[in-house]
Amino acid sequence: MKKASNRKKEHIRVRGDTGQHQRIMAVMAALGLAAFIPTAIRLYSLMISDHEYYANLALMNQTRTTSVTANRGIIYDRNMNILACSRSVENVYLNPHELRQSKADVPQIADTLGQILDLDPVWIQEQAADTSMRYKQIAARVDTDTGARIRAYINENKIAGIHLEPSSQRYYPYQSLGAQVIGFTNASNTGSEGVEAAYDSYLSGKTGSVITTKGNNEMDMPYSYENYVSSVPGCDVILTLDTTVQACLEKQMQAAIERYDVQNGAFGLVMNAKTGEILAMATLGSYDPNAYLEICDPEALAQTEQLKQSYLQYIEGTDQYRQGLKAYQEAVTAARLKQWRNRVLSDGYEPGSTFKVLTMAAALDSGAITLDTPFHCSGAEQIPGRAQLLHCWRSTGHGAQKTPQALQNSCNLAFAHIALKMGGDTFYDYIQRFGILEKTGVDLAGESKGIFFDKALVTDTDKWGTASLTSGSFGQTFKITPLQLVRAISAVVNGGNLMEPYLVSEVVDAQGKTVLKQEPTVVRQVISEATSKTMCTLLEGVVTEGTAKNASVAGFSIGGKTGTSEKIDVFDENGQRVLDKIVSFVGIAPMDDPEYIILVALDTPSRETGIYISGGVMAAPTVGAVMADVLPYLGVEQHFSEEELQGKSVVLSDMTGKTREEAKKELESQSLSYQAVGEGNTVTGQIPAAGQTVPGGSKVILYFGEEPEERLVAMPDLLGMTRQQASDTAGQLGIYILVKGNTSLEPSVTVAAQSVAPGTMIPVGTTVTLEFIDTKAAA
Amino acid sequence: MAIERRLYAKEDRSPAKQTGGVDYTFLILVLLLLAVGLTMLYSASFAQSQYDTGYTSSTKYLYKQAVCAILGLICMWIFSKIPAKQWFRWAWPLYFASIGLLLSVLVVGQSVNGARRWINIAGIQFQPSEIAKFAMIVLFARLTRAFGSSAKDFRHGVLGFSLALLGILVPLALEKHLSAIMLIGMVGVTMMFVAGTSPKWLGAGALAAVLFVGIYVSFMGYAGDRVTAWLHPESDPSDTGYQILQSLYAIGSGGPFGLGFGKSRQKYLYLPFQYNDYIFAVICEELGLVGALLIIALFAAVIIRGYWIALRAADRFSTVLAAGLTTLIAVQTALNLGVVTNLLPSTGIALPFFSYGGTALAVNLGEMGILLSISRQRHSTKEQEDLP
Repeated sequence: MKKASNRKKEHIRVRGDTGQHQRIMAVMAALGLAAFIPTAIRLYSLMISDHEYYANLALMNQTRTTSVTANRGIIYDRNMNILACSRSVENVYLNPHELRQSKADVPQIADTLGQILDLDPVWIQEQAADTSMRYKQIAARVDTDTGARIRAYINENKIAGIHLEPSSQRYYPYQSLGAQVIGFTNASNTGSEGVEAAYDSYLSGKTGSVITTKGNNEMDMPYSYENYVSSVPGCDVILTLDTTVQACLEKQMQAAIERYDVQNGAFGLVMNAKTGEILAMATLGSYDPNAYLEICDPEALAQTEQLKQSYLQYIEGTDQYRQGLKAYQEAVTAARLKQWRNRVLSDGYEPGSTFKVLTMAAALDSGAITLDTPFHCSGAEQIPGRAQLLHCWRSTGHGAQKTPQALQNSCNLAFAHIALKMGGDTFYDYIQRFGILEKTGVDLAGESKGIFFDKALVTDTDKWGTASLTSGSFGQTFKITPLQLVRAISAVVNGGNLMEPYLVSEVVDAQGKTVLKQEPTVVRQVISEATSKTMCTLLEGVVTEGTAKNASVAGFSIGGKTGTSEKIDVFDENGQRVLDKIVSFVGIAPMDDPEYIILVALDTPSRETGIYISGGVMAAPTVGAVMADVLPYLGVEQHFSEEELQGKSVVLSDMTGKTREEAKKELESQSLSYQAVGEGNTVTGQIPAAGQTVPGGSKVILYFGEEPEERLVAMPDLLGMTRQQASDTAGQLGIYILVKGNTSLEPSVTVAAQSVAPGTMIPVGTTVTLEFIDTKAAA
Repeated sequence: MAIERRLYAKEDRSPAKQTGGVDYTFLILVLLLLAVGLTMLYSASFAQSQYDTGYTSSTKYLYKQAVCAILGLICMWIFSKIPAKQWFRWAWPLYFASIGLLLSVLVVGQSVNGARRWINIAGIQFQPSEIAKFAMIVLFARLTRAFGSSAKDFRHGVLGFSLALLGILVPLALEKHLSAIMLIGMVGVTMMFVAGTSPKWLGAGALAAVLFVGIYVSFMGYAGDRVTAWLHPESDPSDTGYQILQSLYAIGSGGPFGLGFGKSRQKYLYLPFQYNDYIFAVICEELGLVGALLIIALFAAVIIRGYWIALRAADRFSTVLAAGLTTLIAVQTALNLGVVTNLLPSTGIALPFFSYGGTALAVNLGEMGILLSISRQRHSTKEQEDLP
């Protein structure tokens, strides 16, 4: 053994450089084995220990998330009429890179697409030429039919690089109806304005996504990872709004705008006085949320168009051009913001005499006055602590009045005294409790709370005098929102409870589960139930006896208060205060158990029409017309007095074939009488014809055995006539009249409108609707 | 020339016989590595090829590489027939020719990715540094043979090598070809160690090299960026850290068994240089830890077998030459794997037999041919190495 080992040693030594052998072995061990150990350890840590971590990072790196838009919820009115819904549309885009790769015949594609989409083919080619992009939208929100045509074209010609992506477009079936309340969604499908904005988080749902692996530069991968996260559809929102009521309100407001040549739009509100549910809320001039960017007011449109033309005459890039463009853009923005604005809750206005309801309720409730408290109005009076002479709106004065007359006459002097009797502290306290100093909390965005006096101005009369307190008592020199006013007056008539107004009654998810339910919320009791009852009586008196007779509607007990206010903070270009007025009326019905409260305000009726500008003349009949349309629909019971029955309209039934007795009995049951022509026993004809509406108490002509004569008469001009004059004139011609508006027989109540234009040839027996208005009625 | 003739005259008379057969184990290992390398190159370059050719071809890179592989195999076959002593004779001309080529690059070279390292001769584009590495190894082998056992003293053991090394490193430094300098330096030092240069000189030399690299890198002005990108690639994931992060994503997502052959996702243009310097990351992603370790084992086998050939070579020149050529493969492999896994800061070193690059593959295969040639003339008696 030893020998052998010696031999081996010797052998190595003989080879000379024994070290070299060892050194190569060492290098072999180092570079053939050891050098790989750190790498192997590192690989183990990267690929096993941290595998998840890197795999996730790699996946994030490689995946593209395409969002899948959730279906936006539907907005319904209280009767489940659809106010806003989404319909499927498609966006068309091209991938220039893909078109280039597939060597597509771009000019030919551009021609075809241009034809289908009504686009300039040259422009499409320009889009396709930008190969640095992978997404160039060439058409947005095309309807599904157009989308199908493009798809067919793509499939037929096997074109790679033209794509369609599903999108949705909001659709508002009622167009401008309730536009500011409903709002609209912007280009990115997010709600702006109205319910769309306020309930966006419910409506929008949750966007889903498709996650796919994509190579860098959008290369397709043959082995890809896909994950689908489904979208959660948005919830449906059910409003307290009633489309029918909204339509009636807007229709009558629009009619008033036209009749009184109202310069600056109108706003109105129908609310349930007991619950705070908003049934209708309107601001005119409105817009169509389907095309919310279009300016609807013809004047504003003309103005912007003019600005556009004026900058276009300059060369692009010059200062004039830029300035002109800026002016144009600003005008467009201003016009849009104006038409989107919901004035009922966003803008304060001077409530004027309508505010007297609150002053009186506070005074009665606090015991400062009773129904028998006497007031004297001489037309003007020097009030202690007030520098200016205080004028009543009727310069001749109202003379001796008691509390009910003060309200009926809307006497400013009486109210100044009421406020003084009550004192600033009590007045301010009630105003505060009526919610005038706070937002109503309505579930819409953009509510403001108006501007009321600082407390000290009203309460510290020693220091600040009585000017604010007295002006405040009849609703001047401060601003509140229409919604604040309507809510406060609701509290006056509903038993004393200040309610939180609301517009959304329920939010329901896609499975039909209720997500949110809003119930009437009492914020606080402001006045006693007894005071409330008293106020109801007093308010009814304003309509039956006072300034608001034009608001009366046969069959309904209506109360309310008129208002006419000058805009104190609007000045003309010379710095003079303009005498623009806002006329308004707050109507309440039925007065035995007030349920509905309606406000209409007309901003700046034109002085050109010659009609006396006042809430009583303009706003009261508008509200009356709304009530006449809406109250029967809302199921408010009608109670007609004898007098009213006379005016009540009757739809004639077919009398043909009836005997004299039968005809007489039937007509009498409808408070109609008849004149018989002919000697037969059964009715052979009648004027007016069956189906026509005639006023109660009218005389119908029945033909027995003879043919009714068919004769045309010219419609007389009845405008300005009293009720008596009008019915005499019409009666002589054989024309029936149906009375609307003010039913009073007083001489100041005259025809303001007739449904058939003067001079029109109409058959004898036609019923013509006349609208009567008390031209003397005022604030 | 006289010495040379004398040296080999003696050898010719020696009892050592050329056995005729090459080392088939080594040949098979090399061919296996080449086959796996080409296969993986096809997979790794697939997406890039499609992208570059506008989706008309997925074999653009594979095709060029395969052509070069065939040329390289021919080269290998020819070199395996050339006796090692021929390289002893060609050492100096080869050395000076390669210095000439390196210098000519500075004048007529072509710029690729911002560095002038390429030259075009008769329509073939190649990096003279590939030739220079080879020439340096041949010259070092010759120097060890010439200086013989006197290698331990400074004059023979250090100075000669250093001067020879300098002749190559200076033009490379002018080319700013840091990776080649590192590679040649490490191969040179390993060969000197094998030849018997005292470790103390090598230690001093290594220190000098580190200093040099430090100064050189800071002179090049992006040292800070590189170090940050190396230690904290996530600090700038879209720029300096991008390359290495993409590499780590690829490796890490491979897991134990990988996504499957051809199924890399990172190769879809996320990972730059996925078909050359960073091909190993794609291998890891597709074949997983198991596949990656198998390929490393294959490399290790080739390297160990290369040194085994060196051990059994007929003479010292052949031994050192074989050790040098094997070291070249080993160091390249180790550096490449180190960079791809972010153990080392990034330098442009390709993975032999795998990375796309025709000259490198052909030269590597040629070098394998020389190893095969050396394996033919293994010594059979103890006297064989007994040379002055």
